[in-house]
Amino acid sequence: MSSRTKRITLQEAAALIGDGSSLTFSGFTIWRRPMALVYELIRRQRRNLHLIEVNGGPHTEFLIGAGCVKIWESCWVGHELYGKYGANLSRKVANREILVEDYSHAEMTFRMAAAAAGMPFAVSQSSLGTDLHNPEYDMLGRAGLRDGSRPHIARSKYQFVDDPFFGSGQQVLVPAPKIDFSVLSVQQVGEEGTVRVQGQYYTDPEVARAARVTIAIAEEIVPEDYLRRNADANTIASLEVDYIVECPWNAHPTGMFGRYDVDGDFLRDFYKQTRSQEGYDAWAGEWVFGIDHYAYLEKLGWPRTMNLRANTALNYSTSVKRGG
Amino acid sequence: MTMKMKDFAKPGEYGLADLLCCAAAREVRDNEVVFAGTGLPMVAIMLAQKTHAPNLKLIFEAGTLDGRPPQLPTSVGDARCEVGASRASGLYDTFAIAQRGYVDLGFLGGAEVDQYGNVNTTAIGDYLAPELRLTGSGGNPDINSFASRTVFIMVHEKRRFTEQVSYITSPGWRVKKWPEGEMVPRQSHYGSAYRGGPSAVISTAGVFRFDEESGLMYLDTCHPGQTPEGIREQCQFALDISRVQGETPPPTYEELHLIHEELDPEEIFIPKVKLDNPPTPS
Repeated sequence: MSSRTKRITLQEAAALIGDGSSLTFSGFTIWRRPMALVYELIRRQRRNLHLIEVNGGPHTEFLIGAGCVKIWESCWVGHELYGKYGANLSRKVANREILVEDYSHAEMTFRMAAAAAGMPFAVSQSSLGTDLHNPEYDMLGRAGLRDGSRPHIARSKYQFVDDPFFGSGQQVLVPAPKIDFSVLSVQQVGEEGTVRVQGQYYTDPEVARAARVTIAIAEEIVPEDYLRRNADANTIASLEVDYIVECPWNAHPTGMFGRYDVDGDFLRDFYKQTRSQEGYDAWAGEWVFGIDHYAYLEKLGWPRTMNLRANTALNYSTSVKRGG
Repeated sequence: MTMKMKDFAKPGEYGLADLLCCAAAREVRDNEVVFAGTGLPMVAIMLAQKTHAPNLKLIFEAGTLDGRPPQLPTSVGDARCEVGASRASGLYDTFAIAQRGYVDLGFLGGAEVDQYGNVNTTAIGDYLAPELRLTGSGGNPDINSFASRTVFIMVHEKRRFTEQVSYITSPGWRVKKWPEGEMVPRQSHYGSAYRGGPSAVISTAGVFRFDEESGLMYLDTCHPGQTPEGIREQCQFALDISRVQGETPPPTYEELHLIHEELDPEEIFIPKVKLDNPPTPS
């Protein structure tokens, strides 16, 4: 695929991801989440998405509050310091409007790594003796979705096996996720798809490789030659990326190493406002519907974004107010 | 009024968060590999690093190995984590290193804990029809499975200290053996994967430890102003108070100085106590 065909717009990227898709993202909790694309999926009122995430965050809450998500398979959702749990998920769980399948964080990491290596399952000894492995709590099984006919859903949540090689006891097998789309939010992508992540790369290499289609949304598209001068500094190879999108500030209100900090006030306001569905709808009416990404940035205003902007030597903002 | 930096601060000169932070820091031994989740434990570990454990190796779950951040991160994914670190990478590395057996100590939190140290961070009430869905497990069960010791920091309320947590997110000293779910000692269930388990719970009332034989929680020290009987009253199970060693040591002036002037001057996790008549260093 030539570079010209890899470059698409945010709207074209959102159009690729249809109802019922399985989906995962780059980043970690409140860092480097592809929020601009998430807003676009909400505007398009996507339904029945199956999110399979190493961990969740504000993007999960935005999608769940909007009613886009049918199944959430992960280990954690919240806003870190800025909101102690995912209030939209909690509400939808209470109303039985969403299916949640719980794994541990290491299990999700190893599952994603298995998918990235083309392996059908991962093996781990984490979380032995916990309710994560309670057979009564296989929620997709209880919903009758583990009949083997669904491309995204394994025939069981986990399996126990005894180590057949060294006799080291009970092991837990967890299925590799079947991901249709991985959406990355990164600092730089080359014209041919080479990705350079700066800072901790979380599970981005595994996430990029696990999906059928990988979309990299970058703060900037840079000349491919520039990235190839230092290939050992690159994170994801060109051939693992199918589409690229240039979109500055695409991770706001989450943070991006070297570019901008987490907008804690935005997340705190979201958490406070969206405890009820009415609150969510009002929030989405203000920040999502009826505007595009540039109108969103204009609404934020330059003083706010300047304040979040990272110091280029330190890679984080020295002006943003964090506590107190 | 004058004080020496190594002296213990007096009641009113420090807050509960200061006390918890210092109690947590004292759980760290020098040269240990310590795994940090987000929150007050990050301050505690960095406090230990600046006092009695200068050679500890700090791992941030999101992908930082041997971190020495000059500025406090607000979460483990923060851009501040990796400044000065040996390596910045990702979760596959941190969890593989943990499962491989490198981690001595992990700090964790929880919404509910039971008498065996099982912790719930997933859902309050019946999992299938919960009163409140919480964040989920995060790395809590993983660190607790892989580390040699784990320390939990929790708010102390009677509803949180239960006989049996409604959902075991993170394994204590008696765990469920599937498929039947009968409670069995952790050591026998984990077999050769066994490395340890919860070694302390630091609540807002006291410090608790676990009996090696029975796996049951007992009270180790009471925070200033608390009594063993009062703390037992704040548990839903019959807490063993026969082994109480006395009072949890308060912060020293040096520790308070480090917490508020160097580690968390922005009061991200630890608010400053406002003093009418602050002591002056001698």
